[in-house]
Amino acid sequence: MTLDNPHSRNAGKNSIANCLQEARSTLATEIRQARGGVQATQVYSTQIDHLLARIRSESTASPDSPAALVAIGGYGRSQLCLHSDIDLLILFDGPIASNEEQLVKDLLHPLWDLGLVVGQQVRQIDELSHLETSNPSFLVAVADARFVTGDAKVFNQFIQHVRGPESVWRQPTIEALRGLVEERHRHFNSTIYQLEPDVKEAPGALRDVAAIRALASLAKAPIAPAPFGRLDDALNEAEDFLLRIRSILHLDNGRNLNTLSHEHQETIAERFGSPGSEAGGQVETLMSAYFHHARIIARILTTNLNEIGPIPGPSRRRRIADNIECNNQLINFIDNVRASLQPHTWLEVFQAAIDEGCLVAPETLAFMERHGDRYPTEAFLPGNKARDQWLHFLKPKPGLYERLSEMHENRLLSRIFPEFRKIYCRVIRDFYHKYTVDEHTLLTIRNLCELTDQQTAARNRFGGVLAELEQPELIVLALLFHDVGKWTNKNHAEESVRMARGPLQRLKVSPESIQTVEFLIRHHLQMSQTAFRRDTGDLEVTRQFSRLVGTEDRLKMLCLLTVADIQAVSPETLTPWKEELLWKLYVDTYNHLTLGYGDELIATSQPSVSELRKFRPPEISEHQVTEFLKGLPQRYLRLADTKTVYRHIKLSRNLEPSQVRLSLVQDNDVWELSVVTKDRPRIFSNICGVLSYFGMDILRGQAMSNHQEVVLDLFRFIDADRFLEMNRSGRADLTTLLEDVASGMVDLGTMLKGREAAAQANHNKLRVRTVVHFDHHYSDRYTVLEVVGANQWGLLHRISRVISEHGCDIELVLISTEGNRAIDVFHLTSNGKKLGPDKEQNLFTDLKQALTSPSSPT
Amino acid sequence: MKLICAIIKPHVLDDVRDELAKAGVQGLTVTEVKGFGRQKGHTEIYRGAEYTVDFVPKVKLEAVVADALVEAASNAIIKTARTGSIGDGKVFVSDVGQTIRIRTGEVGDEAL
Repeated sequence: MTLDNPHSRNAGKNSIANCLQEARSTLATEIRQARGGVQATQVYSTQIDHLLARIRSESTASPDSPAALVAIGGYGRSQLCLHSDIDLLILFDGPIASNEEQLVKDLLHPLWDLGLVVGQQVRQIDELSHLETSNPSFLVAVADARFVTGDAKVFNQFIQHVRGPESVWRQPTIEALRGLVEERHRHFNSTIYQLEPDVKEAPGALRDVAAIRALASLAKAPIAPAPFGRLDDALNEAEDFLLRIRSILHLDNGRNLNTLSHEHQETIAERFGSPGSEAGGQVETLMSAYFHHARIIARILTTNLNEIGPIPGPSRRRRIADNIECNNQLINFIDNVRASLQPHTWLEVFQAAIDEGCLVAPETLAFMERHGDRYPTEAFLPGNKARDQWLHFLKPKPGLYERLSEMHENRLLSRIFPEFRKIYCRVIRDFYHKYTVDEHTLLTIRNLCELTDQQTAARNRFGGVLAELEQPELIVLALLFHDVGKWTNKNHAEESVRMARGPLQRLKVSPESIQTVEFLIRHHLQMSQTAFRRDTGDLEVTRQFSRLVGTEDRLKMLCLLTVADIQAVSPETLTPWKEELLWKLYVDTYNHLTLGYGDELIATSQPSVSELRKFRPPEISEHQVTEFLKGLPQRYLRLADTKTVYRHIKLSRNLEPSQVRLSLVQDNDVWELSVVTKDRPRIFSNICGVLSYFGMDILRGQAMSNHQEVVLDLFRFIDADRFLEMNRSGRADLTTLLEDVASGMVDLGTMLKGREAAAQANHNKLRVRTVVHFDHHYSDRYTVLEVVGANQWGLLHRISRVISEHGCDIELVLISTEGNRAIDVFHLTSNGKKLGPDKEQNLFTDLKQALTSPSSPT
Repeated sequence: MKLICAIIKPHVLDDVRDELAKAGVQGLTVTEVKGFGRQKGHTEIYRGAEYTVDFVPKVKLEAVVADALVEAASNAIIKTARTGSIGDGKVFVSDVGQTIRIRTGEVGDEAL
């Protein structure tokens, strides 16, 4: 007896069970030969149809209302795997009374007895005129409805309700489908690149295929995936591939489990006959095929969802740039022929998409994919303008991850940076990574970009650190290449550094920035290893880590890179607990770098000094080098490169007590001022005052002195009024005033008086809490004063004037301006010793007063 | 059978795990936790502002061992987790009524 004769009334329960067994056995045979795809599951679904028809025909119930049995969901699509749920809709054209209930029981009980998992819905046709918007899964399942047995008129009535021209179901079903897709994708971190993917639920898996088909059937007009060409065939192939895998998973697991685990990857790769001599190679082939299919599915679904739904915002065409327009919220080229000749302009499309909050048009992405091969890498990065555009593009912001993903998908990213190709769909098999290396890399960038969202309260302390950075794009560059070395099983960090050199040089990034990016890549695991595996309560651990990072900027970058990197391992990896440990290490190291650096002086025998001596110009003697460095903090050598150090040494030679020597260098919008002079009272205060007098906005600065009492004050400032650029004598004026003020010939206080009143007015507008804090923990030699307040005109001069008026010597200074906040750290002594409690209290009181009421006399 | 529950500093976890394995402990459960003991948290200063950290990150480690192994396992934890500074943690030992291995149904010491 087979199920091919569905209307046989002589069949008993046992024979039905036997027939089911036979159908399952046939399917299992196909599955073992890796043929459990579309055709096999369709055959099995038909067998189940016949089984249901038999069960219906054997029922003795005689309902008063005509009834139809409808397959919905995966069963409706005729894609039953061995352990799939059988989703049924039992429809009645009339009230459901006891006779109808009996029919339902007669249908369901045998199925349950057979051990099948049934998802049943029972409805009256009349009920369907009301939309079940609270049950989106049902709306979507009904989109796949297929008649199985019963009264065909009832089914036709039902179809008119849900799919007829006047149907009110269409748009709500599309919205329900969109909501379910988004929710499901979110659960998988919205990426197809799962190392152990769920072949049913994951983005790019079978449910997405179903969504594409449902959208196609719901669309009034055909939705056109034309730009990608022969997509129907590709979609069918992908569906068959995934079903073959799912069938094997059901057979091997003995239940409805759909995760393609590492273990299953090996057995399935073997059954699929994936080429490769070893299991690892076979798995790689299998997973490459998987990601290939998943990408096609994801791309079609994204396109279809965009095309079918109402798109928010204006839907008109407007020009964005010379050859770029925004058309219906999609960015594309105006003239493709021109674009094909100018590959260096392609980045502008992605930049425009970020700026406008739009997507890049699928046809534009496909265009780049078709034409990208025609050009060498250099054609995309022709010069400094391209570098500036790239560095601007890579600044962390919402949309960057999506645009980089598009560039990765259409292979543009690996054409511009072939190094990235090495990790394309690269699988690293371990217990904690969830994504392929390329996707992990892009997710790190997404995580960093999310820190720019001030609404994300959970990580806003790290977001605050990101907002303070001058060049956050260097972290993105480091993240982009931090794992490219994972193509090899050797030390991947060093290999990544080696591989990153090429793209960094092609981008023509400055040597300092290259050093920073290389540092970040080389040490990208160091902060997590220190935070989680070393005793951060031990001061020596903090000291070592401070030495490694060297500067606050590098610390901040490494910290943010670490947070983004850990978070991209899997959604669960970066726990609040781990964040706490990272933050503690960050704070301790930051404090060490800013408060505790004064006690660590340069030893002239240390390796970095020996390294420095190798590049000593002949006009500078060994002795001069030694004498200049003696007494300066270690921090100086971490900040100043060799060239800068020798420039300072030259400035300090044969210095007369009254002389003020300076060098002024412009670096884009920022000026760097080095002042070298002999130590004297109020020197730091006076230099700050002169800069304020000329309207300079001090961004960073530090002051220090050596054993010869040579003072070295270094400033980075912005000349907002462009005084130095517009006045030929600007530099001379600045130097002259510095000298006059330093020698006491000019009373700076009188010159600044008028401006302080204006500062008072502005001060009230800035909402930054003023903090004056004395630290006694970090230095044995100095009292460390930390002042945080609103960045305002003349602030540094005012603070340092108050300090000097209290008879305190400013030994070291560290100045940092972050947005509208100024953070200044002073290392103080009084008569060569730390400040006494009374002096400290008096200074505290006067500083508070000076900072909260700027124009008051001090 | 006893349940050994230890609260330790995060960075000693790997060493403690290795020592427990050497002592014969077959398996353990590790949880990221936060808490305070006599140290009652601490004050942190960042840019001049003081923040009170009430709960300090620690690792909770749980292992059920046969009676004969309790002393060796406890000593392994204490020896490895001790740094001598405040916050090294604590070890708690309590009785366990029964252990059942879910897969095989084995009970008692056999299930450990």
